[in-house]
Order: sequence, then C-alpha cells, then structure tokens
Amino acid sequence: MRIFITAIFIVLNFLMQSTILHYIEIRGVIPNTTIILIVSYALLRGSTEGAIVGFFSGLLQDIFFGTSLGYFTLFNTITGYLFGRGNHNFYRENYLLPMMLCTIAVFLYETMIYLTSFLFRGQLNFLYILSHTLLPEAVYSCIFTIPLYRVLFGTNEWLELKEKYKHRLF
Amino acid sequence: MDFFEEHKKQIMLAITAILLVVILITYGKKKNATIIESALGFVLTPVQELTTDIGNWVGSKIDWIRDKDNLATENEQLKEQIALLETENKRLRRYGIENQRLSELLKISQKYANYHTVGTKIIAKDPGNWYDIFLIDKGKQDHLEANMVLTASNGLVGKIIETGETYSKAQSILDSRSSVPAMSLRTEDLGVVKGEYSLMNHGLCRMEYIDSEAEIIEGDEIVTSNLSDVYPSGITIGRVKEIKTEANGLTKYAIIEPYVDFKHLDTLLVIGDIPEVETPVETPAEPQTETTTEPQTGTPEVEQ
Repeated sequence: MRIFITAIFIVLNFLMQSTILHYIEIRGVIPNTTIILIVSYALLRGSTEGAIVGFFSGLLQDIFFGTSLGYFTLFNTITGYLFGRGNHNFYRENYLLPMMLCTIAVFLYETMIYLTSFLFRGQLNFLYILSHTLLPEAVYSCIFTIPLYRVLFGTNEWLELKEKYKHRLF
Repeated sequence: MDFFEEHKKQIMLAITAILLVVILITYGKKKNATIIESALGFVLTPVQELTTDIGNWVGSKIDWIRDKDNLATENEQLKEQIALLETENKRLRRYGIENQRLSELLKISQKYANYHTVGTKIIAKDPGNWYDIFLIDKGKQDHLEANMVLTASNGLVGKIIETGETYSKAQSILDSRSSVPAMSLRTEDLGVVKGEYSLMNHGLCRMEYIDSEAEIIEGDEIVTSNLSDVYPSGITIGRVKEIKTEANGLTKYAIIEPYVDFKHLDTLLVIGDIPEVETPVETPAEPQTETTTEPQTGTPEVEQ
C-alpha cells in the first residue's frame, strides 16, 4: 500500500512538474516540487525512504529529459539520504522546519547542478544565476512546501495508522 | 531489512559509484530509448499530452478573455496581410519555377532542397530550470530519428536528440548545450548560433565566432548555413538584435532574436528523411520547406 501510494506521488509529481507547473512560472522559474517531495519523505520516513524516492524520481527525470542516464538520479538520491539523517530528532508536526529545509535543499541542489554542469562549460556568471534562478526558485519552492508537506504529512499519518492496525502493534 | 539499515553508508557509496560510471558511459551517446524507457513513455506521455492540452485550453480561454476587444481589428489587419502575401507568394513561385528550370539547364543542384515534413505537438517540458528540453508526441513509429530538425511555422526550433517508440526528446536552440552553424542571409557571414543560460528565459540566443570584419548589422536575417551535418541549410532562425565585439577584439558576437515565440509553442514540423504518410499534416506547410513534387536533387546536408 505504502509503495503503491509513493509510486503514485512520484509519477504525479513528475507529470505535474513537466506540464502544468510551466503555466505558473514566474520569470521563467518554476518551483522544484521534486526536491520538496524527496525532502518531505526524508523528514517523515528517514534517509532510506528519502533515498529511494530520490532515486526513482531522478530516474524518471533522466529518462525523459536528461542527456545522460544517472545524473539527476545521483543528486536526488544523495539529497534524500542526507536530509533524512536527522528525522528522529524533531517534531514533524512543525511546518517551519520542512519549509526551511526544503529551501536549503533546493538551493544546495541547484548550486550543485550549476557547479557540476555549467561551470565546466565556462559559464562563470554565478551572480546572475544566483539572483535569477537560485534565490527565486528557493523562495518559490518554500511557498509550495506548505500545501505539499500538508498532503504528504496527512497521507503518512493515515498510512501509519493503517499499518499499526495491520500489525497489531498497540 | 536490517542488513540495509546496518550497511546504509556502504550501500549509498556503492550506488553513487555505480551511477557515476553509468553517467560517464551514457553521456551524450544515447540516440535511441531502450525498451523499458519506451514502455514508460508509452504509459506516461498520453497523460502528459492530456494535461498539456488542458493547460493550453485554459491558457487560450484566458487569452481570449483578455484580447477579446482587439480581435476584430486584428482580424482586419491579418486579412489585408494575407492578400498582400498571396500576391507576393505567386510572384515568388514564378521565380521558383524559373530558378528550377535554369538550374536544370545548368545541371547544378538546388541550394535549398525540398524536405519532407511531418507535424507534431509538444507534450511536456523540462521540469527543471536549467535546460530547454521538451518531448514531442511522435517517435520511431512515425519514422523519426535522432538529429532530425524541428521548425515552427516561421523558423528553427531545435533538433531531436533521442527517440522512443511513441515519443521523442528534443532540444531547443535556446538550450545552453545547443549550437547551430549559421550565416547572415544578406552578407553570408558565418557564425555559430548558441544558446546561453542568461538569454534563455528572454527567448534570445547568441551568435558567436563572427569575423571582426564581417559586415553584419542589426536587423539582418540569420539562417542556418550549409556547414552542418544536422541542420539543412537555409532555415530561418531569427534577426540580429544587437552586435558586440568580443573582449579579444578578433571576433564579434550578436544577440539573435528568434522568429519563433518559444513561450507559446505547441505544434511543430519535423524535417527529415521521413517516408510519406497518409495521415494529414494539420499545420500549414512552411515557406522554406515546401513539400512539392520535384525530385530530390543531391542534398548531402539532409541525410545525417
């Protein structure tokens, strides 16, 4: 059940991001909902599931929009793994932390993509990219985190409740 | 499951290493999608097509509400323009026939050959903010191949970089990895039109390696040159917006404003060695690429 719902989230997110989200872009920037999904999963379920969600969402992006297989897969997997490290140490009902972490994650992720692909091709105008892509995208994603985290949190609560009954834990 | 939890770090390192190797192996070499990718595309692309259609429909309704008042005047203007263009077109067709006869007499091959075209539609765009890659709704089934060229009704859009069974992955000329050998139509000065990240969101691109003594000026029309294996010569790209001299003083570069409006693209034409299909092409044929009945004379640029 959990696997099925997670798969639906990954595919739905991919479909939305490649089609509908382009209609609400602000100055050519769309929010990075993939990273929000990965970080939310990592925070709610820990680094293993964060990495798995990252792996498959990255794979989809690579298959349909990448020039080499594995590039986005690698970055998404690492993001999911790193941001799930401390998931036992905070209250997940809190909204502020996921918002902050998603913003940081989007910023770091896009900076890594800039460093690994654009810098090598001689694009040295980091300040332009910082002010026109990295910061707007981080802010835009931060706003999008609120509804998405709400949905993912609710689904997770529901699933955990079901699993509890199934295994007769309490 | 305990095994995974215990050796999490080692597993992550192994995955990272494997992915790095895969990246290096597959980088830029893939021209055809694998069966698994095609199967995924077969399932996902119809949904993307549907959502894009819905988005386009809502967008067109919003546009209609916004421009309702101007439509009548615009219609008048367009009718006038059509009348003008029709007379012009007739005149040019006579020239074309004359040109063909003369070149037959001289036994030289036509410079601007006739290409086969097929219509297609954009179904999804890159989910990131870095590149300008999109999917189109035709693939190997419709005899498309990598390195076929995409145009809209008024100019060059890009090329196909990978084909699946029912979809193809294409790269627009605004993408920072694209480069198109080009020349100015008036002066025949050569250069290379490249995408640049800072210009991409404004719908502009950049023409590099122009000789410092070239007589190119603002407003010149830029077309593809005959130096490319991929792009057939003579496809219009855009107009020169600005000319600047490079810091080294040896070459110039120009900012190009493409004729195609990349923000509102939906239907495209694929140019290439496509066998004639019975399905009618919805889009009107583009002036540069007429599909007339003349026999194809030697055109080494077309075949990749």
